[in-house]
Amino acid sequence: MFQRDVFIDQIINSLEKDKSIYFLSADFGSPSLDVLREKFSNNFIHCGISEQAMLDVATGLALENNKVFCYAMAPFLSLRAIEQIKCGPGLMNLPICLISVGIGLGYADAGPTHYANEDFACLNSIVGNSIYTPSDNNTTKLIANSFLKKPHFSYVRLDRHQQPDLNPEIKTNEFEEGFKVYGEFNKEKNIIISHGKIFHNCLKIQNNHQENIVAINLFRSKPFPKKLISLLKDSKKILVVDEQTPGGNLGSNVFENLSKNNIFPKIKIRSLNEAYVFENGGRDYLLKNYGLSDDEILSDVKNL
Amino acid sequence: MKINDLKEIAKKYRGEMFEKFLLTKQGHPGSIYSIIEIVVALYHGGFVRFNEKDNRFTDKVLISKGHATSALYPILRDFGVISKEQWINWGTKKSPLRIFGNTSIPGIDITSGSLGHCIGAGAGMALHYKKNKIDKKVFVIISEGELYEGSTWEGLLFAKHNKLANLKIIIDINNLIILGTTDECLKLNPIEDKIKGLGIKTKTIDGHDIDQVTNTLYEFQTIDDVSCILANTTKGKGASIMEDKKHWHYWNPMDEEQIKITREDLKK
Repeated sequence: MFQRDVFIDQIINSLEKDKSIYFLSADFGSPSLDVLREKFSNNFIHCGISEQAMLDVATGLALENNKVFCYAMAPFLSLRAIEQIKCGPGLMNLPICLISVGIGLGYADAGPTHYANEDFACLNSIVGNSIYTPSDNNTTKLIANSFLKKPHFSYVRLDRHQQPDLNPEIKTNEFEEGFKVYGEFNKEKNIIISHGKIFHNCLKIQNNHQENIVAINLFRSKPFPKKLISLLKDSKKILVVDEQTPGGNLGSNVFENLSKNNIFPKIKIRSLNEAYVFENGGRDYLLKNYGLSDDEILSDVKNL
Repeated sequence: MKINDLKEIAKKYRGEMFEKFLLTKQGHPGSIYSIIEIVVALYHGGFVRFNEKDNRFTDKVLISKGHATSALYPILRDFGVISKEQWINWGTKKSPLRIFGNTSIPGIDITSGSLGHCIGAGAGMALHYKKNKIDKKVFVIISEGELYEGSTWEGLLFAKHNKLANLKIIIDINNLIILGTTDECLKLNPIEDKIKGLGIKTKTIDGHDIDQVTNTLYEFQTIDDVSCILANTTKGKGASIMEDKKHWHYWNPMDEEQIKITREDLKK
């Protein structure tokens, strides 16, 4: 099952009793959305292929104390509507959840117009939001239910494709922490921090080098988990891996939050290259050839 | 309220706002003076309903041209939504009033300033009221300069598609943007044809003629679809030094003679 369907299914469950939910789409669908539209037509609003208007309409709805979801492809929701995002849910601190689908190179081989390789940097610069990047369906479900229970300005970055389950999965009582450690934590070990699809590649590396490496799934990068700051207080070497362009990605986020707390481990960032990708070959091929091969990640973490 | 009373209120507000411009040495007098009759008609003409018990307005007013939101402050003061002290202290740290309105100010329904957002936001509110059979209207005032913003047209399409009879749009057409006339800079005309082309009911009026403003607001109350008033106005209306002058989009320093002339103008 796709992350988007998992997310929307939680909304459908809530709509059974909560009619203050509106789901807006900028002409982006999914099998679960078909169900929502059919069953709760009064709560679904088609905004046309108009991400900016969708955000403005969402702002009006949220000002009337509704919980609002805006749903679109990641590159268009994040970059095209960023000023509306700032002026609506940002400036007025509104309970709007942006569901952004197809982060990174998820839409390979559609080309660079459809890649969302800058969305993290853009949304991380907006004040007051929470940013979530799940790596599996279980985390996706927890994120959806967290918003439904406690609505607040959120940016949720979903993958286009189905991702394997994390093992062990993130438990409900661990969700509020915002991250989960894979492997036995030891400050002397080299640490990989990542999120989303690319975390699975990091986890594979960690599994093969458990004695030296620990991996951290940072599914909530903003607000940055306080407990993670404490955990990394005496850490020495960190590699941050992100399927984004070099500027302002998860690596910057980790550095900013640690440095604010006077924590200065050696940090290296492995991301996509500074390039617009026009080549075909599928996502894994592109990851391998544009800066995020498993070999490069392994080499980085070994040589920190 | 009688039309002559509304005219007197508009005159009074222009004078009061001028004293605030002198005090704060900033603001957007040209844009504020072009909508004074419109906002006076909306509130004091009773189109925006006031709930005395809750001390708040039932209907919403979104000033999309956020640089002119402060035109509402004397109205909010007179309805008691903001206190006299807050009005008097405007320009000091003690008052919540700002050049651009925001939702931290009682009676201001949206934080605006960036152009092109409020038709969409107003449509969102209006659609919520319509779906839930809530008896509330949303008035959105935009400048014609906002017709350059794509999101304005996206919002109009959305409002028309959803037949939002409770959404009343007023376009303040003073023909000036910061660098010159719209005809010189990038032609918008014929605006009416463009709005009508979307299937939206429109009417062009003199935005400084309170008779016309109130009559059209009354007439448009019963239209069962989104509607749009095209209000022809003069930037800086009422102050001869400012009228139809592009540089009076912003406040400019005045010498004593100019201040005297403007004070006299605004009493007429």
